[in-house]
Amino acid sequence: MGAAPAEDAGPPRGRRPNPRLAQLRRTWYFLRRNTLAVIGLVVLLFFVGIAIYAATQPLPWTQLTGYCSTNQGGGNPNLCPSGSPQICTYQQGTTPPHAGCYQTPKSNPSMIPPTLSFAPLSTGPLPLGSLTIYPAGPTFYNLFDGLLRGADWSLLISVAVVGGGALGGLVVGSVSGYYGGVVDEALMRLVDIFLSIPQILFVIIVVSVVTASVHTLGSLSPTNTRILLLIFAFMAVWWPFYARLVRGQVLVVREQKYVEAARASGASNRRIIGRHIMPNSVYPVFIQMSLDVGTVPLFLGVLVFLGFLIFPTMYFPEWGAITALSVVDLQGFLVNCQVGICVLPYWQILIPGLVLFMYAISVNFLSDGLRDALDPRLRR
Amino acid sequence: MRMSVYVIRRLILLVPVIIGVMTITFALVSSLPIQNRLVAVYGSPSQRAPWIYNPTLVPGQGPCPTTATSPCPNPYYLKFVHDLGLDQPIPVQWGIYIFNSLTFQWGTVSNHSAAANLISSIRGLPVTTVLSWYLPYTLELAVLSLALILVIAIPLGNLAAVNRNRPIDQAARIMSFSGYAMPGFLLASLVLMALVIGIGSGTGYVTHTPWCPAGESTFTELTQSWPLPNCFASGTLLSGYPTWILHNGIQSTPTGFPTVDALLHGMYWLALDTVLRMILPALVIAFGTIAVLLRFVRNSMLEVMNLDFVRTARAEGVPESLVVRRHAGRNSLNVTITVMGLLFAFFIGGFPVIEDVFHLNGVGLMLAYSVQISSGPIDFALIFGTTLLFTFIIVFANIIVDVLYAYLDPRVRLG
Repeated sequence: MGAAPAEDAGPPRGRRPNPRLAQLRRTWYFLRRNTLAVIGLVVLLFFVGIAIYAATQPLPWTQLTGYCSTNQGGGNPNLCPSGSPQICTYQQGTTPPHAGCYQTPKSNPSMIPPTLSFAPLSTGPLPLGSLTIYPAGPTFYNLFDGLLRGADWSLLISVAVVGGGALGGLVVGSVSGYYGGVVDEALMRLVDIFLSIPQILFVIIVVSVVTASVHTLGSLSPTNTRILLLIFAFMAVWWPFYARLVRGQVLVVREQKYVEAARASGASNRRIIGRHIMPNSVYPVFIQMSLDVGTVPLFLGVLVFLGFLIFPTMYFPEWGAITALSVVDLQGFLVNCQVGICVLPYWQILIPGLVLFMYAISVNFLSDGLRDALDPRLRR
Repeated sequence: MRMSVYVIRRLILLVPVIIGVMTITFALVSSLPIQNRLVAVYGSPSQRAPWIYNPTLVPGQGPCPTTATSPCPNPYYLKFVHDLGLDQPIPVQWGIYIFNSLTFQWGTVSNHSAAANLISSIRGLPVTTVLSWYLPYTLELAVLSLALILVIAIPLGNLAAVNRNRPIDQAARIMSFSGYAMPGFLLASLVLMALVIGIGSGTGYVTHTPWCPAGESTFTELTQSWPLPNCFASGTLLSGYPTWILHNGIQSTPTGFPTVDALLHGMYWLALDTVLRMILPALVIAFGTIAVLLRFVRNSMLEVMNLDFVRTARAEGVPESLVVRRHAGRNSLNVTITVMGLLFAFFIGGFPVIEDVFHLNGVGLMLAYSVQISSGPIDFALIFGTTLLFTFIIVFANIIVDVLYAYLDPRVRLG
């Protein structure tokens, strides 16, 4: 039978805790003394909780619906895209056609102010206000719903991108730092080359080329395939940062006595890299990863903002995308200010913007706390 | 080593990086479908021959006779593929690509792409021509925001280090964190919204300036690179729409730099207006970089302040402000410059978004317009051209940083 022999192989541990566990405990000790880091951790856990809640809902969470109002400008149902669910709106000062209609401001019939009803993941009412999207006709979008469902996509995509990028960087950086010489020189020049292309442009060219090529092959369209391609494109852009970071760390670690001892006892290069060098140079990677997890949604938002519709649908629930769409829309309202209609849907920009900002800044707080806790030189 | 030798050595080391970047773009370009590549090089097919890039023709289409029983190969397609070297082995294709890129043959803007639909005057022009219209504005904006970055980040970082853990340091820390967490488009739009309402609500959303008595709407005043044509009414300070602004207000002559050209033509008010319009976008672009740089300036300043020579200076009775400014400040400048070199790619990456928000005539706007899918298909020639151009800017900026670093710290040149 396959009884685990590994349990017996090591020396008896007795009361001494596992050194990695002790390190973790020490980190936690310093982390919880840092107020900002604790705030960051709490906010992040809150978001993770939302993501888990949204993921366990039985509703179709891959795609959100835009609601169309049949009462726009006298009620012309022809303005509605076919198949979109319809809701009823009425302008302030007029009588509602029937019960359950939403009031819009007098000066602008194409926005629904926030209401304070709490009805998450519902298909009908629009709590917390709407996002109006042009030019596809007056289409309303449930912001609150979108942000809730966006939690799991946002977290999933950021963790996947950063995890994959860090893994690639870890491998390249370890190999480069450990072997040195020509290998190091070649790999680091490659990293230099990758780093001299601005990240955002690199993402754009990779995503557009991948989309164009796959589109011609004719196999594009399932939501998950497109998201997967997007994640891979982002990883291709992210790994060089980690490679450079890890290499610097490996250069220090490989001179340590325990690496020498491992080599003296005849360990193979692969074993030394895998068992001794990588685990000991991984902490800066964790810090950088925790920082980068916050920036991925910002990048997605920038792409959507530029009009590069990277997601399968326009209403894709991802925080960056929602924020970008609402901000693009705001420009339309600002143009209208010239002709005297200056009612700005402040909630449109504030609510998704605040969620995105809170997420990114809480991750930053946490990462800063981690850096302080893990790096004894910075500890005050 | 002498400075000139050092500079030449750095310039030689530049060649492999540029070739490497082109190799990456080559790998991406060659994984594009052939039709897309033909459009990117030769422009979109004409109305009369929409089939010109098809590999095969159905009977009756173009040179294929109606009597043909099966689809015939397209001779034009074969000729294009041969001219581009697409039938050659990959290393030869790579060589051709590198040659074309180095000789600025970057392809043609397609007639029906998103960018061409948004700006009709660039239709069918070579990409390098189009980019040369837009580059000067971006350079002026970059210089202005770099100046703002240095003027704001260094004193603020020093201040934070001197007042360590006091409220001013905490404020700088919060600003630094917000810089990481705030995407440029959000910040730009918030600032724009606040200013349009703040300035506009008092003046009825029309701003009258001495050089534009007719008035201009607050929104366009904050979001265009030139004043609207109605500002150029004769008799005002601007005296008529300038004939030296070409292509519907995109390119200015003779130098292309809008401020310089306005000065050359004696329109001082226009030059002032152009700079004023640049300040807000420059600040927004600078914000993210300032936030990151601030931390490094502060930390390096803290390190330097603990060194022996600073203590000696204090012991000798040098005034504290002079110690901070001269002894510590100058020595922490090395780190600032290094970090600025590393941050340059991040800094340039902010341009497409900001130029899109403020509708400025820069290279970033070209990138933003060429991926705006709702207006038309992606223009691959333009996005690859923009990427190459931005990468060149970054690589050259890094050389300038290195040379500056070697000038400030002579030890570097020995290595």
